[in-house]
Amino acid sequence: MEEPLKGLNRVEAAVEAERCLYCFDSPCEKACPVHVPIPEFIHSVRSNNIQGAREIIETSNPFIETCGILCPQENFCQSVCVRKSIDSPVRIRELHRYVTDNSDPSKGLEKSEVSEKKVAIIGGGPAGLTAARELGRAGIKTVIFEKKDLGGVPLQQISSFRFPQKVGEREVKFIHQNFITEVRDKKITELSELGGNFDAIFIATGLQDETTIDVKGKELPSVTYAVKVLKTLKSGLPSNIGKQVGIIGGGNVAFEVAIALKIENPDRDVKIIYRRSLKEVKAFKSEVDEAIRVGVTMQFLATPVEIRGTDHIEGILVRQTRLSKEDETGRRRFEEIPNSDFLIPLDSIVIAIGQSAAPIFSQIEKTEEGLIKVDENFMTSVVGVFAGGDIIRGSGTIVESVSDGKKAAESILKYIKGGKNV
Amino acid sequence: MYKERDISINFLGRNLDSPFILSASPSTDEVEMVANALREGWAGAILKTTSISGQQVYLKNPMMSSFGTMSKKVFGLGNIDLISKYHIEEIEERVKYLKKEFPHKLIGASIMGSKKEDWQTLASRLRKAGADIIECSFSCPQGSMGEEPGKMLAQSVEATEKVTAWVKEAADKTPVLIKITPQVTDIVEVAKAVKRGGADGITASNTIPSLLSINIKTLEPYPTIFGEGSYSGLSGFAIKPITLRTIAEIAKNVDITISGNGGAYSWRDAVEFMSVGATNVQFCTLPMHYGFRVIRDLKSGLMHYLEEQGFTSPSDIVGKALSHIKSQEELKNPETHSQIDTERCIGCGLCYIACRDGGHTAIKWNEDERRPKVDEDKCTGCAMCMQVCPVSVIKMEEKLNSEIYYYTEER
Repeated sequence: MEEPLKGLNRVEAAVEAERCLYCFDSPCEKACPVHVPIPEFIHSVRSNNIQGAREIIETSNPFIETCGILCPQENFCQSVCVRKSIDSPVRIRELHRYVTDNSDPSKGLEKSEVSEKKVAIIGGGPAGLTAARELGRAGIKTVIFEKKDLGGVPLQQISSFRFPQKVGEREVKFIHQNFITEVRDKKITELSELGGNFDAIFIATGLQDETTIDVKGKELPSVTYAVKVLKTLKSGLPSNIGKQVGIIGGGNVAFEVAIALKIENPDRDVKIIYRRSLKEVKAFKSEVDEAIRVGVTMQFLATPVEIRGTDHIEGILVRQTRLSKEDETGRRRFEEIPNSDFLIPLDSIVIAIGQSAAPIFSQIEKTEEGLIKVDENFMTSVVGVFAGGDIIRGSGTIVESVSDGKKAAESILKYIKGGKNV
Repeated sequence: MYKERDISINFLGRNLDSPFILSASPSTDEVEMVANALREGWAGAILKTTSISGQQVYLKNPMMSSFGTMSKKVFGLGNIDLISKYHIEEIEERVKYLKKEFPHKLIGASIMGSKKEDWQTLASRLRKAGADIIECSFSCPQGSMGEEPGKMLAQSVEATEKVTAWVKEAADKTPVLIKITPQVTDIVEVAKAVKRGGADGITASNTIPSLLSINIKTLEPYPTIFGEGSYSGLSGFAIKPITLRTIAEIAKNVDITISGNGGAYSWRDAVEFMSVGATNVQFCTLPMHYGFRVIRDLKSGLMHYLEEQGFTSPSDIVGKALSHIKSQEELKNPETHSQIDTERCIGCGLCYIACRDGGHTAIKWNEDERRPKVDEDKCTGCAMCMQVCPVSVIKMEEKLNSEIYYYTEER
């Protein structure tokens, strides 16, 4: 098992921090979904006031430890760093991680007096835990309903070579001990199952169903799904997947599972099969780079036609595709090229084309994709019931779920106090 | 190799192949180091300050410390060094050896004594050994052996004149340089005393008395020796502007040859020192930091500078900036405004912040475009915005009657 990448040391962090211009009206802070006052915390790194820097980040980001390692900075803060006009963007996430690596959770975070108000939170992932911390700080009692361990995607799916388990556990434990009133080991699929009275409800279940492909042979043994593989590997068990694996998909999960399988057995051939080109790949650049580094291969412009095999898989028949012009969303569509089918010999296939919402909470209004519909205050069609995270936006980033949890908590507080916005 | 341009200069009757020499310092405390430096291309060296035999020198280590940021650690260098542990007998031999090995290089030696007899013995022995120049340290900040313990010789006008005369008497025709300190009330008075004492030149100046840093956890000073520390002599880039002023002030008021010393970190700094009156420039912290090899860029930079500016010799620069230096009262009073090139501006907003909290709130911030805009009615033209602009796209427009002058700063 590979060790997670190490964070910056004192010298590297100080030199990097000196590169920050300390912009006024900083675009990085605006681009951050939870609006961490980035130049301010970096200024504290510069003066070697690391605990002070932590307080600045922690105030706006309840999931400080996890985001310090997993936030796709190139998509948010770093993409707008003014410094890139001079040379290259400041490595903001690495500085954030330097702070979390070298400081302790703040003891001084202010908390209001505990009231009698109580909120049910369904789901103990980043969105649910964030909402719990924000509500807990405001003196609201919180009850989290979670069948599994607290932590969600980062703890249960993201490979430990990318995200050290103990960091995630420390974060979850801190929120649990300080801000959560009660955790109930219960799976909730309908509001009526909650039992008991709550002043508001926050749904943050995430996505639970695997999306599949509609081709012949998908029921064969040795065809499996990415999240299942990731969870197995994360729990320390062997994947039991063959030596020639094809991964169908081009998102972060596809690359994550490809890397994890290659690292589990470096002699294994792992090939990503994606119907568009490298440019259209949705995975973060860091994931793609890592996949290349560990030796994952890639078959672009190929779409599955049929999985061949009987009691075991022989391979996947794919058809070549070509890309058309950009559509109205700016994305290039693909079209299949007739008579271009070819077989890729494989002994296992992992489907990684995404996850979708389970058909739960029947009384709440949904989108076409089965996601929960919310208004600008994160309230669903049922008054007093709020939702956030992947269940409202589809597969998103952790920091976006954290942002939802924060904003939903704000709305819940206003709602409970009888504010006008609801 | 490119063709080298002549950058030689006459310094107190000696022809230097460039204006760049090594100052009396750790870099010149071992004869092989000096030889290496001269082979690398330095025009000369002043051997580290020596004393009469029997003079005890108690060096304490660690003696070095520095201050700066992590990406520029040695912004200023401090030391609690003293004079050389080598006495005059050894230095005499070194001078003879170096003169023989490097007949065309300037070989000087620095001396320090306490009594008249010491000073004169040191000077005459060096003269006889063939030293090209004798430099007298009147300004070692760490423990002086002058007449008043704890005080630098060059802090007393009378002592400066008296001791200078003793040395010059013994040195006879060998040029004498007096190395002074900027740590005085009136540098001109000291320089005049040097001249009255009969010295041929002044080395302006030396390290500056300082307290490098305090470890804020242990509350012990740096450098720390068993929990205790002492005041340091500060050198390096940090002191360059102080040296520049010292040289200019002497050059404007006293007719005497000046050797610039203290804080030059590039050929550009050397050009500045020369432009305010130095005939040559001594280096210490730069080669201690990056090695003797830096001489190549010093020489090449100066050559290109002279060519670009149309000067024929380094001596053309000497004192050229002095006529531009006035007292604040004498300066004109134009109408000045900041001009920001918004096309090249990268939108960091530092000028806006600096003006808002340290200027006259004369810069407005356009939030949508993320660009600053100068309110000419409010702008007094202080140029604080120009200082903080990381991409140097701000200049100052100075208007006097119908004449316009643009001010920018080059780095």
